[in-house]
Amino acid sequence: MKYIMMLLQISVLFLFYYIGMFIQNYFSLVIPGSLIGMLLLFSLLVLKVIKLSWIRDGIDILLKDMPLFFIPVTVGVVQYLDFFYGKGSIVLIIVVVSTLLVIALSSWITDLMLRKEEQADD
Amino acid sequence: MIKLAIGVAAVTITILLYVITKLIYMKKPNPFLLPIFLSTACLVLLLVITDTSYQTYMIGGQWIDFFLGPIVVSLAIPLYRQLSLIKKYLWPIGAGIFAGSITGILSGILGVKLFHFEDWLIQTVAAKSVTAPIAISITETAGGNISLVAVFVMTAGISGAMFGPLVLKACRIRHPAAKGLGIGTASHAIGTAKALEIGELEGAVSALSMTITAIVVSFLVPLVLLWI
Repeated sequence: MKYIMMLLQISVLFLFYYIGMFIQNYFSLVIPGSLIGMLLLFSLLVLKVIKLSWIRDGIDILLKDMPLFFIPVTVGVVQYLDFFYGKGSIVLIIVVVSTLLVIALSSWITDLMLRKEEQADD
Repeated sequence: MIKLAIGVAAVTITILLYVITKLIYMKKPNPFLLPIFLSTACLVLLLVITDTSYQTYMIGGQWIDFFLGPIVVSLAIPLYRQLSLIKKYLWPIGAGIFAGSITGILSGILGVKLFHFEDWLIQTVAAKSVTAPIAISITETAGGNISLVAVFVMTAGISGAMFGPLVLKACRIRHPAAKGLGIGTASHAIGTAKALEIGELEGAVSALSMTITAIVVSFLVPLVLLWI
């Protein structure tokens, strides 16, 4: 019974995914359908149309082992090994530099605003 | 029949490697021992050594891929759980995430342009700061290469987890929420694991930043690509 429940809970995700894909295709949106499905589920949770306890258990199992599901896509890099032997390795450096820039700038702005808020509270 | 056997073998090996690498990571939590990194490295090596094509592996791999879209939907749940924290820090978090998302997209694209790479790499690098399932969705929609963005996402995660704490120190970031935000905005789930080591609030804010960043970036990437 427990497992049937979990399967049903996971199929809710598929349902929202397909609704999201349908909306994306129907309105020719550039936002991924999966994200539309996620925003839809999130809205229904906030509006209390769907209760977290109805879907929680099955979905938590998937969330716990999320990395498993993007292993096959990542393994696709095997087709581009030549790219990384050559000029492509520069892109990895670009990614690292960009990542560190994001950390510095975003945390700096948030830190500044939080400090201002705290000063205002005093 | 042979196809079915190949498919089952591919799925079994993938799951087995994931379980083993997860156990290793639990014993030694080092960014280079992350299950996604180690499993991928082992599988790539295996395919190269046995001279198996990616297409053959994907006979089974596509069954796992099938869950990618629904996994994105599932991220609504952690986001919903963090609602009270989001309300508490709404403006500081919103501003930091927005600035970080724009910085991540533009600096990646600028770097790729600077070194005169072909245009498809622009579409591929744009979403590299966000959690893998959403980055894959964004890149697929934008017409980039999903396997390469998965590698870039992993690189952003590992580098942020390794050097993030140093950057925070160099920038003299003091508030725990700001520290978590920086790491989550740049390095998604891999960074969040690191942020959790630093502290509870750091980890919680990092987790919510990663999801909100993914939402913001999926709206920004099509806009930026249109404008470039």
